[in-house]
Amino acid sequence: MADTDLARDDEFELTEEQKLLKESLLDWGERELPLTRVIEMNQEGHPYPEDIIKSLANLGVIMGPVPEEHGGSGLSWEDQAIIADQIGYIDPSIATAAGLMAVETGWGYTLNRYGNETIQEKFVKPAINGDQFVGIATTEPGGGSDVAGFESTAERDGDDWILNGEKTFISGTEEAQKMGGAFWVNVRTGPAPEDAPHKNMTSFCVPVDADGMNFQEPYRDAGRMAISTGGFIMEDVRIPDRFRLGEVDKGFYYTMEGFDNARILIGASSVGVTRRVLEEAADYIKERETFGNPLAKYEGIQFEFSDLYTRMKALRLMYQQVARMQEKRYQEAGKGERKREPKTYSSTDVARWISMIKWKAPHLAKEAADKAMHWLGAAGYADDYVFETAWKGVMSYCVGAEGGANIQKIVIGRETLGPEYVPYK
Amino acid sequence: MDFLVFIKQVPDTDEVKVDEESGTIIREGVPSILNPFDEYALNLALRLKEGMEDEVNITAMSMGPPQAKDALKKCLAIGADRGILLSDKVFGGADTWATSFTLFKGVEKMGGADLYFSGQEATDGNTAQVGPELASHLNLSSMTYVEDVLDINPKEGYLTAKKETDEGFIKLKSELPVVLSCMTPPDFEPKIPGVKEIMKAKNKPLDTWNHDDLGGTEEEYGLEGSESQVISTYPPPSKGPGEKFEGPAEEGAEKIFALLKDEGVCDD
Amino acid sequence: MIKIDREECIGCGECVEVCPVDALSLDSEEKAVVDEDTCTSCGLCISTCPTNAIETKIMARKGDTSQYSGVWVFGETNDGNLKEVGPQLLGKGRELASEFNDQLSAVVIGSDVKDAAAKCGNYGAEKVYMVEGEEFDQYKTLPFSFAMSQLISEFKPRVVLYGATHLGRDLAPSVAGRLGLGLTADCTGLSIKEEDGEKLLLQTRPAFGGNLIAEIVCPNTRPQMATVRPNVFSCPEETENSQPEIIEREVDLNPELFKVEILERLSGEEGEVGVEEADVVIAGGRGVGSEENFQLLEELADALDGVVGCSRPIVEDGWLSKAHQVGQSGKTVSPKLYIACGISGAIQHKVGIRDSDTIIAINKDPEAPIFDVADLSVVGDLHEVLPELLELLGGEDGS
Repeated sequence: MADTDLARDDEFELTEEQKLLKESLLDWGERELPLTRVIEMNQEGHPYPEDIIKSLANLGVIMGPVPEEHGGSGLSWEDQAIIADQIGYIDPSIATAAGLMAVETGWGYTLNRYGNETIQEKFVKPAINGDQFVGIATTEPGGGSDVAGFESTAERDGDDWILNGEKTFISGTEEAQKMGGAFWVNVRTGPAPEDAPHKNMTSFCVPVDADGMNFQEPYRDAGRMAISTGGFIMEDVRIPDRFRLGEVDKGFYYTMEGFDNARILIGASSVGVTRRVLEEAADYIKERETFGNPLAKYEGIQFEFSDLYTRMKALRLMYQQVARMQEKRYQEAGKGERKREPKTYSSTDVARWISMIKWKAPHLAKEAADKAMHWLGAAGYADDYVFETAWKGVMSYCVGAEGGANIQKIVIGRETLGPEYVPYK
Repeated sequence: MDFLVFIKQVPDTDEVKVDEESGTIIREGVPSILNPFDEYALNLALRLKEGMEDEVNITAMSMGPPQAKDALKKCLAIGADRGILLSDKVFGGADTWATSFTLFKGVEKMGGADLYFSGQEATDGNTAQVGPELASHLNLSSMTYVEDVLDINPKEGYLTAKKETDEGFIKLKSELPVVLSCMTPPDFEPKIPGVKEIMKAKNKPLDTWNHDDLGGTEEEYGLEGSESQVISTYPPPSKGPGEKFEGPAEEGAEKIFALLKDEGVCDD
Repeated sequence: MIKIDREECIGCGECVEVCPVDALSLDSEEKAVVDEDTCTSCGLCISTCPTNAIETKIMARKGDTSQYSGVWVFGETNDGNLKEVGPQLLGKGRELASEFNDQLSAVVIGSDVKDAAAKCGNYGAEKVYMVEGEEFDQYKTLPFSFAMSQLISEFKPRVVLYGATHLGRDLAPSVAGRLGLGLTADCTGLSIKEEDGEKLLLQTRPAFGGNLIAEIVCPNTRPQMATVRPNVFSCPEETENSQPEIIEREVDLNPELFKVEILERLSGEEGEVGVEEADVVIAGGRGVGSEENFQLLEELADALDGVVGCSRPIVEDGWLSKAHQVGQSGKTVSPKLYIACGISGAIQHKVGIRDSDTIIAINKDPEAPIFDVADLSVVGDLHEVLPELLELLGGEDGS
């Protein structure tokens, strides 16, 4: 860890348990996933090391908010966000946060909320225990941001469904193939009505080893190399009805909730990445001298640092607030219910906040890494330093993973100014 | 069986920095941690508990200020079943004698245990005295520099342990109860408490006992009850940098050689 | 000390029988009473008492300090041989005794320690208290602590010094706890301080990880006890034919005191390498470059009759065992000569070597913090400097 500690003043508002969570995570990181290993993993590429998944699962941080009777730890969303923050700090390439926080925890928790017992036992529990991987597959060659604009289909056949179609830019395809598990797949169960394309959309858990699942070569991404991104084609994949998530034709709502949860955690993780980047950079600029002064003395650098630091602290408070809102929403909704009647916060309130953190946090992390590379010069640009690794990693969440920046801006605008100002219908 | 582990919250000495100008310690912002030797003692107690047929209850006990509760919380998360903090203004300023007395009173109130553990020493004071002194109070045998407990047999009332001596390691057998001062082995990796353990710790008993709870007169505790008194502290005298040589390796070696001869370390 | 509940005591006298130091007797009311000065808190009476009328109550041994005189040094032995720290403390003890106007004495305990006892005389002890017996063949806490306590109770010394070795750091607190005495650990300096007309032992020790020096006195209890780091004081010249007065004491050990049994010495495992007690320590850090390169340091250690030490990263990398580690989380050393090779000198490391007489540092980085504490700093590559130095040393041997 860096000598500079930019998180000490966060401590005062944490509960005893949250302090211990944070301490455990950082101790774990120092032992199992030091920066040297993060950088090594990114140089070697995917799939993500199973020993780390297993050891994080043993700590109980995968799908922490899942109730204990389903194998989870019964954490609050604020607790889980603090964990995600530390995960981003430990692995600023964001591969760990992407695979285990956003995908497995954000989406996996949503599976837990709406999945039947079969889904709990076959897919959720093994993922919590680190024995399998669960992923999410929404994007298709035709597009991703337009969640309802997709073409894969499912047709009922007795007690089964027959799935066809193609999914692309899916995180964790290599990991899932290696470890076993399933993807949450959205398909059409009826034609898309022109005025309401999100209707007639149903979600299924599709096991990676189902007949007719053809995985493609993973993409060669710019960053977060330790976790794979790939695609698959479904050719007459036969799935029993008990692998269906929730109600038929309601997939869109579950999907939006999955996005919400994943976005909170990726927001928190990005704050962690920013903190790591700024701490490591602070160590450097305090030590490194040019023209007889440490770099940190030059206003050109110091003021940039101050600016980034201030925005990081603001976003830290923001993810905490967002996580608390989501927690409240879940508590008021009751177990397994989709919340319709707003209580403390309306779903649009929460969605707006979630979009704010999802938009700003990865961008700040990228900006911090970018500035740090400028401060360090050539050393910062080398791939055996943390900045290049972080920069390329968080870029994935700037360009679109879990929803692109412009989508977040639309949500914020829509939920604040009113639905009549939505630019695209 | 009851195991009792004595623990202390200490400043993280790895983080301690010295004010270059005044030569004093910068305490501000130095995080407090569970004394690493005590952490090992607790881990050892836990490992023994797991290997035993009898039901074992592990209590962690500490004397310290109210914030020392954090260290006990951590012990509960690591796996202790109960925490007891002995905390009172009256206990402040205690030397090892008064500390061991206070802990002894805590043990008395608790009703004693079947096996006692402490760290070999605390990383702030490094005295290594509290364990053996406590054993004297309890009229028990003590064993210091214990690196491992190899076997424990509660039915026959003994344990065997591996202990470091000035000459190497020895294997000892001791009657129970005994007070073990535990020495962290080099390959020790402390148990990292997981989420479930941390959440479970929330519901474990953590009591604070003050002077009224322990009884006895105020003079027996803290500064007043201490037999050794610190009368002054000062920064260590800085030696001042000595001679510095930059030049060819050969000449550097000659410089060293000359000094070795001056010091009489090698023959003339 | 012990406390007797007079209500519960039935005057059976069992405890009087069992007391090894005759500290118990029956008073006119046929109740047991304890002589507080003599009792060594051995606890034998407690288990003997049929009515559970006795409990331990260790109390600070306060009271008339004027009865106490004499400076004692515990002469630690190994297999009957006197260890070096004893003579070192006798050297310092001599100075202290002169100032107190006291006698200087040594204590040796073991199974065959007559030679060691006589040797203490050679280093300045006027008297040697000796406890000899098979049961003291190997060090065990309770018997040694019991014997020591008995001697102290009987002869009432003013000061008792122990080496801060594993053994000394085990024995001294056990005695202190038993007798209710103040004790200062790991002293690096001893002198006299006069307070209210009485001369007290002023004990200096590093505190807070060596970042501060603390001065400590034990004004109320006697004897004043301290453990002292080896090599802090130099060993005086050995004189021949000293005729110390040997005072031998039988210590009757009740079998109950043998609660610990030594089963075996564990071989095949590296225990202490002796960095704490060595006169010369050759230490390496990351700058050594590789595990194999420590060979160079080994050679230098051999040439100078020293041992190899290292900084923390070396242990973390698994190049050397923890027993070699010098610094705050390892061993604190106080050799005559410390050579730091490729060690940058983190504060935690510097703390551990502060008491070295002479520090030589070799490092490539002219700004290495280790140079701040070195008596001689050589800026250079240790892989070039050490072979040159070895050649110089080797040449010397050959001539």
